[in-house]
Amino acid sequence: MDIIPILRALGRRKVGALLIALQVALTIALLANSLSVVQQRIAHMQRPSGLDEADLFTLSNQFAGSMADLSARIRSDLAQLRAIPGVVDAVAVNSFPLRGYGGSTGVTRTPDPKAGSLNAAEYAATDRTLATWGLRLIAGRNFRAAEVSEFHAGESYAPPAVAIVSQALAKALFPHGDALGQNIFLTTTAPTRIIGIVARAQTPWAANESAMFGAEYSLLEPMQLVSPGIAYVVRTQPGRSTALLPVAQQQLYALDRVRILSDAQTFPQTRAEQYRSDRSLALILVVVCLLMLVVTACGIVALTTYWVVQRRRYIGMRRALGARRADILQYFHVENLLIGGAGGALGIALALGANAWLAVNLETTRMNATYVLVGTLVVMALSQAAVLWPALRAAALAPAAAIRGHQVEIS
Amino acid sequence: MLKYNIGLALRALRRNAVVTALMVIAVSVGIGASMTVLTALRAMSADPIPAKSDRLFSVRIDNWGPDVPNNALLSDLLSYPDAMALMRAHKGLRQSVMYAPVFSVTPQTANAIPFTATARAAYSDFFAMFDVPFAAGGPWTQADDDARAKVVVLGARMAQRLFPAGDALGRSVMLGDGSYRIVGVLAQWKFQPRVYDLSSRLYQQTEDVFLPLTTAADRKLLSMGGSYCSTAAAHDFASMSRSECRWVEFWVELSSAAQKPAYLEFLNDYSAQQRRIGRFHWPANVALLDVNQTLRAEHIVPGEMKIATLAAFGFLLVCLVNATGLMLARLSSRATEFSVRRALGASKAQIFVQCLAEATVVGMSGGLLGLGLTVLGLAFERAILREDYSRLISLNLDTVVTTLGLALLAVLIAALYPAWRTSRLAPAWNLKAE
Amino acid sequence: MLKMTHLSKVYRTEVVETYALRDFSIHVKEGEFVAVTGPSGSGKTTFLTIAGLLEEFTGGQYQLDGADVHGLNDNQRSRLRNQKIGFIFQSFNLIPDLNVFDNVDVPLRYRRLPGAERRRRINEALERVGLSARSKHYPAELSGGQQQRVAIARALAGGPRLLLADEPTGNLDTQMARGVMQLLEELHRDGATIVMVTHDPELAARAQREVRIVDGQVIDLAVPTRLVENAAPRPAV
Repeated sequence: MDIIPILRALGRRKVGALLIALQVALTIALLANSLSVVQQRIAHMQRPSGLDEADLFTLSNQFAGSMADLSARIRSDLAQLRAIPGVVDAVAVNSFPLRGYGGSTGVTRTPDPKAGSLNAAEYAATDRTLATWGLRLIAGRNFRAAEVSEFHAGESYAPPAVAIVSQALAKALFPHGDALGQNIFLTTTAPTRIIGIVARAQTPWAANESAMFGAEYSLLEPMQLVSPGIAYVVRTQPGRSTALLPVAQQQLYALDRVRILSDAQTFPQTRAEQYRSDRSLALILVVVCLLMLVVTACGIVALTTYWVVQRRRYIGMRRALGARRADILQYFHVENLLIGGAGGALGIALALGANAWLAVNLETTRMNATYVLVGTLVVMALSQAAVLWPALRAAALAPAAAIRGHQVEIS
Repeated sequence: MLKYNIGLALRALRRNAVVTALMVIAVSVGIGASMTVLTALRAMSADPIPAKSDRLFSVRIDNWGPDVPNNALLSDLLSYPDAMALMRAHKGLRQSVMYAPVFSVTPQTANAIPFTATARAAYSDFFAMFDVPFAAGGPWTQADDDARAKVVVLGARMAQRLFPAGDALGRSVMLGDGSYRIVGVLAQWKFQPRVYDLSSRLYQQTEDVFLPLTTAADRKLLSMGGSYCSTAAAHDFASMSRSECRWVEFWVELSSAAQKPAYLEFLNDYSAQQRRIGRFHWPANVALLDVNQTLRAEHIVPGEMKIATLAAFGFLLVCLVNATGLMLARLSSRATEFSVRRALGASKAQIFVQCLAEATVVGMSGGLLGLGLTVLGLAFERAILREDYSRLISLNLDTVVTTLGLALLAVLIAALYPAWRTSRLAPAWNLKAE
Repeated sequence: MLKMTHLSKVYRTEVVETYALRDFSIHVKEGEFVAVTGPSGSGKTTFLTIAGLLEEFTGGQYQLDGADVHGLNDNQRSRLRNQKIGFIFQSFNLIPDLNVFDNVDVPLRYRRLPGAERRRRINEALERVGLSARSKHYPAELSGGQQQRVAIARALAGGPRLLLADEPTGNLDTQMARGVMQLLEELHRDGATIVMVTHDPELAARAQREVRIVDGQVIDLAVPTRLVENAAPRPAV
């Protein structure tokens, strides 16, 4: 098929063709970037916390009334929880991964206060915490019961002699992989020796997009926290966590009414809550993209239909001169391909440009070239599909009936 | 003439109903998406107190020095010693140190189960500074501040919950393990975003309990908001209040925005003085940010919102390009009619206006339909956003006006080129074939 | 009324220069009914477009109702067209969305006339062409002859000084054509100035006088032979 006459014909209808090309370009740019962002968010949401999430639920507990003997009250609570049939173990901690908030500390390799420090989440853990949470040791050992001391909120803090760190933190502090047995400093006063490394433990704020701190810089200190505000993390037998959550609440209230329990959630619920914004954004983007594809398709259908009507005379003449229906069909598809091609080229440039701008200004990551390609193909395929119906109608015009009257053209 | 043109427009649009419908739908969908996202954006970032947002300031003082990493003055928190020093100096019209302790509240009824209440410890000036409305009673006095009196002001919700009969004023309430007298009850206070406390969730509802900071300090109540320490963290109130940890906020109201340089100078002097006595070892590094500057510095609009906004407006752009193309097609197919009108004596301007009248009708229809879609969109948004954001999403008069205005403006812009081209048609009639 | 002196109209493309009208002069006095005839391509349509201020001319002079139209801008031409000229087209060119009344109304809307005045003129015009009973009908509901009469009413409503007709009966059957021509003759009797372009010699005969155009120039009917001998050389193509 000879392209030049088609191009010339398009040249007489520059503006309309330009508008379609522009729509195609914008749609591609938006589609590619949206798909990229959606994929990023999904990847973000799927990062494991390091915990055996399916079997865990958590409760936030605030003791009220007399603050005497919190230690005993916590011990009773834990005993009560562990006694529930179906519960494997329970621990009382200051925070846990994906909780949303918690304590953090600077960690350095030397006691020099001027040394660059990493910010790591602090978890007050006992010897039972690793097993309850499901953290996997890849080096060293767990805390021993004897190593765990009580820390009462409000007391002055002394750094522990030993700690367990996440692999990410270990690598960041000791890039040569020899973290085990090394000393780190949580304050400038005394060193803390790394006695164990777990494969993965996210921080409480890992879901936040703007987290300055590494999402997996965590360290566990051998402490039993004693404080009016405390979090219970309970591990159940597989499949029992949803059912046992209300039971745990009842049991705790039955034991001691002078308390406030809040944020009682299974871990999957906690995760969903933390990642709600990401999910919302992904949803919004998908909806917008779908709508946009529909609108662009309709626009192409409408404008092409108008062009068909406008050129009825010439189509009829062509048919009278011997063109087959397939030739007319092909003409429109080629024409659409040319417009779409121009739009596609512009769209790719726009997509990449927009992506670069986003990466700088909104801290998204650069998009894989695949998305631009996929976006371009989808939109151009859509464009060709959209032109099919008007093209079929054009091809179906009876040759004689098309030669009638003038149409004055604009554009 | 306008009514005539609108009448012409309606008839012309009706004739080509399918294309008209496509245009209206395309515009309305684009508007619906944009307005849905825009409403959320505005709710999240709007100035909560426009009447005095340029003379209410949050103060930041660098008490860590340049050697400490992550030490930008972006956090709105100050160290306790600095905040109290500023408070004592009393250089502004009104000022208050503040933080958010947490309480358990025990209702006075028998066997009541205690619950957690959000709280704010502040000075009496706080209420006047932020134009806090009272339903009964008023703030505590400066004398109460000095005396560390055990008084509280209750938020509307809390008062309703504890005293459904509405007689909270003068009664007492058990907070933690102490009894406090209620001196004031707030009316419903809509103040979003809560700029004075950026470290807890910004869009939470009004606090349940307000009490004098001196009282909270007396009771050694720790903050439940963020606290940042450059060296070892302190864990008890006494150490925290002596340390260089930043954990309290300080807001000052000046009599006018013009006072800002003077107050800034005061802060610099204070900082220099700290240097002289050996506490600071660096040049003065202070900041005074008004309400809007504080909000902007905090990046309170989450990145998700910004991305969604861009996507929605990109979509609107696609819809407009679409509308332009459709408008062009529509007007083109009536080229003869317009040529005849020109021959009958219409000037270019009159044709242009006629085309814009058609665009106006499409714009208004698109706007109304878009409004309906916005309502649906807002409901959808409320369902998927986090709870504290979704509470902000509502349809108000402002949104309605913006929707219709945006639709009209968008369609008129889209119609400019097609209308212009149509007006430039040469006056003529059908040439018979020669 | 309509006076063209030595008018010329040249179409220039990159390659070719075509004279649609050359040294064209015509004087139509008030109250005349003139038919302009000529073969295809002779330039009579060009003459009509220029006479109707729809196109500019290249050289010469054109006076309409005593005023020189040279140098008028688009707005001024539009106004002049609206007030002084009534058009009657071959393909009636009524606006299909509007009913008869509103169609006649169209040119009146481009001047500032109070509503009552407009209504009066429209009703008068419709009365004149005998279609008052059908003022609420739409063009699609009327016969060809009736549509042309609506177009004539539209041309009349503005009170024009000059009626320009382009093949007014071209799209009508014989009976309707006769009716329209009768109407034109009536209008002429009542004092209208009419210039009618046609290729139909029978129609031309019903006018007062005939002006013949060949190759862009007026041919004096009285001296056909001299035309052939003195034909101006064709311009080089």
